[in-house]
Amino acid sequence: MTVLTATRAPAITRAPSRPRRLGVRAAQLLVGAVVLASALHLDIGWSDLAQLPADLRHYLGLMFAHPDWSRLPGAFYQTWVSVSMAWVGALLGVVLSTLLGIPAAAGVGPLWVRLPLRGVFAVLRAVPEVIIAIIILTVTGLTPFTGALALAIGGIGTHGKWTYETIEAVPPGTAEAVRAAGGNLLEVARWGLWTQASPELMSLALYRFEINVRTSAILGLIGVGGVGDLLTGYTQYRQWDAVGVLIIVIVVVTMVIDGISGAIRRRIMRGARTRDVDRSS
Amino acid sequence: MTVSQLSVPTRPRTWPRVAVVVGVIVAITVLTTLPALGGVNIDLGAIARNWGNGSERIGKLFPPDPSILPRTWKPLLETLEMALVGTAIAALLALPLSQWAARPTNPSRSRIVVRGVLNVIRAVPDLVYATILVAMVGVGALPGVITLVLFDLGIVVKLVSEAIDSADASYMEAGRAAGGTQTQINRVTAQPQTWPVFASQVLYSLELNVRISSILGLVGAGGLGRLIDEVRGFYRYGALSMIIIEILVVVIAIEIASNVLRKRLR
Repeated sequence: MTVLTATRAPAITRAPSRPRRLGVRAAQLLVGAVVLASALHLDIGWSDLAQLPADLRHYLGLMFAHPDWSRLPGAFYQTWVSVSMAWVGALLGVVLSTLLGIPAAAGVGPLWVRLPLRGVFAVLRAVPEVIIAIIILTVTGLTPFTGALALAIGGIGTHGKWTYETIEAVPPGTAEAVRAAGGNLLEVARWGLWTQASPELMSLALYRFEINVRTSAILGLIGVGGVGDLLTGYTQYRQWDAVGVLIIVIVVVTMVIDGISGAIRRRIMRGARTRDVDRSS
Repeated sequence: MTVSQLSVPTRPRTWPRVAVVVGVIVAITVLTTLPALGGVNIDLGAIARNWGNGSERIGKLFPPDPSILPRTWKPLLETLEMALVGTAIAALLALPLSQWAARPTNPSRSRIVVRGVLNVIRAVPDLVYATILVAMVGVGALPGVITLVLFDLGIVVKLVSEAIDSADASYMEAGRAAGGTQTQINRVTAQPQTWPVFASQVLYSLELNVRISSILGLVGAGGLGRLIDEVRGFYRYGALSMIIIEILVVVIAIEIASNVLRKRLR
């Protein structure tokens, strides 16, 4: 005799009630209110905004419908000036910030060296490159060299910070081993720190160049030459077809440089993929 | 052969590679410093000659002139408001866009289009946007806010979509197995997962925005930059350094606040 006893299905577990996040909700509301208040306080005619898409379409049409290709050689020449500024500025900036960044790392320099250096980096980070350029202008005039110097000095702020953070992130094992084997300070730096920190530092140096390519176009706006110089001229005289060509050149050159530099950086950080393939033969 | 004959392996030959790298760097440096080709003319003579001008001007920056302070409050407020509103609009737009641009949340081809457009947006520098937008829509805070939105979109969408790409996407399979549409999966699984990265990037872009929006006024896009341009025009260097100190204080305060918030997000 077989009696199928119906086993009771397990009671459906009740989902735990949602955690009450009153504090988070209040913070969200507060942030929302502040954003809304500042949006309303800003001196923007929000009623004009409805007309903005039409405006944009109008001007984009003026810029890109019939670009004035006769400006192309000039645009490329000035872009080369900007890229030169960016490269020289990156080179100078990286050398300077490596020299200043190493003693600013914890474990390398003493406290009385570290603190002032970090202060200098913080100040330079806050001062916009354009203002640094305005000061350097009085020494070297309205030349691309001024732009390069401004990029170099402005870059010390962020790059110095990256340098000491990278050095501090190096695991201390290798350096200890070199010290234990009797290495002096230079040997510790060469075999303990440099071997581990150099890929990251080189990758950051290239990244600095990428950033500088963008910033150098901006520096042209104050007249140190390069593509920004052309851009202010063309926009002031409303030569939209020439502005369109300039923007195309800026976008293409920046993307090509980003692509090349990004590929090199990936290669530096990850190493070659196929290096070990032939070892079995 | 016995174990005692172990020898130190020879050092790998790295010098050819180092030589190539150094050679390329030197070549580019030479190319970019030839004035005949439009390169940078490294004029050390000018530094030697005009050293006095620069140090004199730096000297004029001190002492900072506090009498400018009352006039800075309004532009400073405008700068902060522009930064905040720009970040908020960009965050609202970046939330769907970053899911649209990442492979796990958008397997279709449209991903490539979104990425391409954002790459183009990122390639244009911020002040270039501001210059052109001022010419288009007129002087004021509006071109500044649009500039900041475009700038933020570029970095936030790139970093967040890369985070989605590299995150472990297996949790999304659960959503697919339960029969969810892609939108539902994104909403329920991907979005909570990327929330911390997203919030941290938005905070970072707010920091950058305060920095940028303080100089946008140089081209007429509102905020402190307009005042900077004015005091520079009148050679009031004490006032200029006071404004720089003010920006410094605000930037560092925002940096500290956003670092504290970001630590709590982890």
